[in-house]
Amino acid sequence: MLALAASVSLAGGLVFIPISLAGQSAKPDFTGLWTTYTDPAAGPRAGGPGRGGGPPLPMTPEAQKKVADYRALIGTSGDTPGGFCLGTGMPGSMLGSGGYPMEIVQRPEQINITYEAHNEVRRVYLGDRIVPAADRVPGRNGNSSAHWEGDTLVVETTHLIEQVDQRYAHSNEAKIVERYSLSTDSRGTKVLTAEMTLTDPAFYTKPVTDTKKWAYVPNGHLLPYECAEEGWNIHLEELAKKAAQGAKK
Amino acid sequence: MKQLVSLVSALALVVALGSTASAHHSAVQYDFGKSATITGVVLKFQAINPHMRLTLRVTDDKGTREVELEGHSTNNMYRAGYRDGMIKYGDKITAIVAPLRDGREGGYMVAATLPDGRRFGVQSAAERAREREKAEGKP
Repeated sequence: MLALAASVSLAGGLVFIPISLAGQSAKPDFTGLWTTYTDPAAGPRAGGPGRGGGPPLPMTPEAQKKVADYRALIGTSGDTPGGFCLGTGMPGSMLGSGGYPMEIVQRPEQINITYEAHNEVRRVYLGDRIVPAADRVPGRNGNSSAHWEGDTLVVETTHLIEQVDQRYAHSNEAKIVERYSLSTDSRGTKVLTAEMTLTDPAFYTKPVTDTKKWAYVPNGHLLPYECAEEGWNIHLEELAKKAAQGAKK
Repeated sequence: MKQLVSLVSALALVVALGSTASAHHSAVQYDFGKSATITGVVLKFQAINPHMRLTLRVTDDKGTREVELEGHSTNNMYRAGYRDGMIKYGDKITAIVAPLRDGREGGYMVAATLPDGRRFGVQSAAERAREREKAEGKP
């Protein structure tokens, strides 16, 4: 909820009173820093679909071949997009971004989500800010628009590019719907639950679902995540070597 | 006061996000089920992502040589106690590492002990094993 703090002089002191903006119904405020939630009652995390131990994903034969080809190409190298300073992309980003925290800054018409790893940013537009479909630019995190259903924020993401390099491989036809809601656990921790449904007839024979829970971190800070600097430094070192070799000639 | 996020899933995350002298990173060559220590003088140190880089000059009965290490991301090390300026060139430090699988010298730094005794980083495999044994009531 976007709120104003009105200051009222009362008995010689200032009292701050939150006031909803005119025309804005009260909505949950997701603003803040969130880290992976650990359920105190849960045992070790069970393997979900696509993870070790989970049921196989309902992939089409074409998608299975694409994923198999990608895995064969990577082989035993352990290479990942992140190892090359490339962000995970959706839905990997919203499902945890490698365990790093995320920051949400919320306004009524736009919600920005920054995943610390690789500084991945998603801009979720609401109402008049929603980008017309013809103007959307495809990318690893796609384009996201949202609306409220009661206290649940429903985010729809389209214009994704084909990705076989993450847990939930998908085509460029994929549509991802996330439903975000707040709750409080038995320890009093504020929990943000994100229920994800991935629909992609080109890659899956039926929708795929997963859930991610985030724990609120009071007064938490996201850290900067520069990653490409090393590659740039290596390039400069190579240029310096060439320059030194040229000077000797 | 700045509150830090707990280091949940740090090991899994760094491995997932992914080494060599090139600018790409993979942690698959390290054995995270084992731990070792490497003590030496800091010749080079880079607090970078996705993995820290450290070069130590090691001197022991095998002689003197340079050993290159990489480690957890600077972000994760920060949440595990690392702060800017802690590692200085010329300091003698001990790196706690997951060793290379192929037996070569080197490893993936999960923690480090500084000359003044301070330590930053996460638990090593050996420390985790000791904690498990303690929890199970083993001596």
